[in-house]
Amino acid sequence: MNPSPLDLDTLRRLAIEQPAAGVTRLLALAVSATFLLAVLDLVRRGRLKEEYTPIWVVVATGLMVSAVWFDGVRLITRAVGAWTPSSTLFFLGLMFLLVLCLNYAVRLSGISGRVTVLTQEVSLLREELGRLRENGGPGDAAAGLERT
Amino acid sequence: MSGTPTRGETLVVIPAYNEERHIGDIVGGVRAALPAADVLVIDDGSRDRTRFVARAAGARVVSHVFNLGYGAALQTGYKRADRDGYAYVVQLDADGQHPPAALPRLLEPLRAGAAEVVIGSRFVAASAYRMGTTRTLGRRLLGRLLVLLGGPHVADPTSGLQALARPAFRSCCGEFYPTDFPDIDVLLFLHRQGLRIAEVPVEMAPSPPGKVALHGGLRDVYYMYKMLLSTFRSRLGPGRGPARRALAPQSHEEVPS
Repeated sequence: MNPSPLDLDTLRRLAIEQPAAGVTRLLALAVSATFLLAVLDLVRRGRLKEEYTPIWVVVATGLMVSAVWFDGVRLITRAVGAWTPSSTLFFLGLMFLLVLCLNYAVRLSGISGRVTVLTQEVSLLREELGRLRENGGPGDAAAGLERT
Repeated sequence: MSGTPTRGETLVVIPAYNEERHIGDIVGGVRAALPAADVLVIDDGSRDRTRFVARAAGARVVSHVFNLGYGAALQTGYKRADRDGYAYVVQLDADGQHPPAALPRLLEPLRAGAAEVVIGSRFVAASAYRMGTTRTLGRRLLGRLLVLLGGPHVADPTSGLQALARPAFRSCCGEFYPTDFPDIDVLLFLHRQGLRIAEVPVEMAPSPPGKVALHGGLRDVYYMYKMLLSTFRSRLGPGRGPARRALAPQSHEEVPS
């Protein structure tokens, strides 16, 4: 009896529908839950500002959902034309990191500009205070600033 | 505003970073060349005695608490000039490359109302100044690019020796101004603001030995890359408008960004 030849479509369908190992899904669930708790703990301890948390909460929740509802990952795999759910997850992870890096570069540019303006303002104010002191204006505070 | 220079009219801005060896002579040279001008040294976070030497030589000093970059230091000077109501800013480097004796000639076109930006140029007249091959190529490329993007023809677009009238330096107080090395991007921006740019021949000294040059190796490549992007932004970005109309003194809060 000859085995029936597999065409590419069948091969891809089999790859997508391969059962996810229970231990893998449990591990993904545990890691994402731990990640979510770590984010909340960082906020509690004041080391992470609230406005930076949504993206990480969404990521952790997404990981948990994909661990519980693996058909969702299969659905996305079919939609993006990938062959395996794992490659889909890698692709999405890579895209996420790229967008994240760009986002932080934009934020960094903004902060860098603000630091420049603030430093200039401080320097100009120090010089003004120094001049006031020389002209007999507010003495001690300006003198202290000028000496630094 | 032509005729004899008056006190409080011109501010000479000298950005300096670890220049204690030269700054005293530079400040002295500037005070001799422009006795009526105020001299402001922007100490850009120097770790040596730059600020004390400059002050002892008779300059006012604004000290950045840490190093921000050449462009940011210049901009601090522009902001000071804007807030104190100066009509002109003259800027020169603290390394001794720019001759203070040339400063009065830079101010002439401004006072005559012939231009709002005057560049001290090494290349509009015969000069003994020699530039390396790479830098010459880069300078020519930038000059061509400036013209290609609708800017004026400038023989020495990388010269840091410049004089600016109030509308020009006020335009440079906004966020667009580069913190590292203002170059053709700024010239293009100013040109698009309706400001007129002129060049005056100046004989300059070579950069002192041991000075950390911007140019060289990969820095050249990065510089060109950064300048292309920055010029692209100046050409297409926000901030267009006729700054020449804004000749009346205005408060710094109104500076376009």
